[in-house]
Amino acid sequence: MSGLRLTILVGEGDRWRHRPMYTEIVHRAHAAGLAGASVLRGVEGFGSHSRIHTDRLLSLAEELPMMVVIVDAEERVRGFLPQLAELGLEGLVMLDPVEVVR
Amino acid sequence: MTVLLVALGAAVGAPLRYLVDRAVQARHDALFPWGTLTVNVAGSLVLGLLTGGALAGAVSGDVTVLLGTGFCGALTTYSTFGYETVKLVESGAFGQAFANVAVSVTAGLAAAAAGYALTV
Amino acid sequence: MRRQWDVLAVISAGGALGALARYAMSRALPASPTGFPWGIFLVNVTGCLLIGVLMALIAHVWPGRRLLRPFLGTGVLGGYTTFSAYTVDIVRLADAGAVAVAAAYLVGTLLAALPAVYGGMVVTRWLVRR
Repeated sequence: MSGLRLTILVGEGDRWRHRPMYTEIVHRAHAAGLAGASVLRGVEGFGSHSRIHTDRLLSLAEELPMMVVIVDAEERVRGFLPQLAELGLEGLVMLDPVEVVR
Repeated sequence: MTVLLVALGAAVGAPLRYLVDRAVQARHDALFPWGTLTVNVAGSLVLGLLTGGALAGAVSGDVTVLLGTGFCGALTTYSTFGYETVKLVESGAFGQAFANVAVSVTAGLAAAAAGYALTV
Repeated sequence: MRRQWDVLAVISAGGALGALARYAMSRALPASPTGFPWGIFLVNVTGCLLIGVLMALIAHVWPGRRLLRPFLGTGVLGGYTTFSAYTVDIVRLADAGAVAVAAAYLVGTLLAALPAVYGGMVVTRWLVRR
């Protein structure tokens, strides 16, 4: 079975109306009836501002990366994208074709 | 009054530690905790100067409380030093962890002793 | 830097609270010129234990609370624990002739505080996962 993988990178502290952005994305994906969504916590990285974030140094431990991964059939994932547009996401939003083995 | 001086000094020292830490860290790779090392050595030097000065009678008790207990106390940190050292150990960087402890203690003591000797 | 001011404000407030707790502890356990500085020793060891607990809780229970780590970690615990009193007390003790006490304090703090961070972190992770 082939489908699309939607990967969204957000900052740990990013908010949408007082709730974490990743929670809002998962909530919307769930409400949209998508097959599933997972959030993974990052421990280090840097983004468009070129500032390193890492949980190894206390003063740099802000805005650690979080990754939301959603996999579903292409039309369902594409149908979900308008719901993301209104969130004003600052990080990467990526789509890639995947083959689901099981 | 004394309590107020402690709080006032710390209210400046703690955010200064954060700003110096980030400024120092921005100039180095994010592997070694240079920022915490810098504030701990600088704070040791200043407290050494104050302590020596107080023993010599040149620094008043209020100044010692404001700048020593409050400002230097909050500018420097043991908890962040400990956390960052343990994170180095956890990531398998044993050499870096050992170096962080050895350099922090040696440079901190040297700075404290230098400050103390200058004013006592 | 657009969101920096609230971070600096909570670090400042937390630092003042932590420093007051340290001051209270050092007043409760005052050190003599040649005696072991138990007050600051306990401050640094308990502060290290708490940062281990805190960072594990933030990672596993409370991710995404933007001001929690700056307030409690950088502010309160950073202001509570201190490195300058540690180094200066060692110098002061050695200068007063209490070299053995200075050495015991130097090594004793490291041997108690660093394992305290690790212990706080590991035990909290274990409790959270149960």
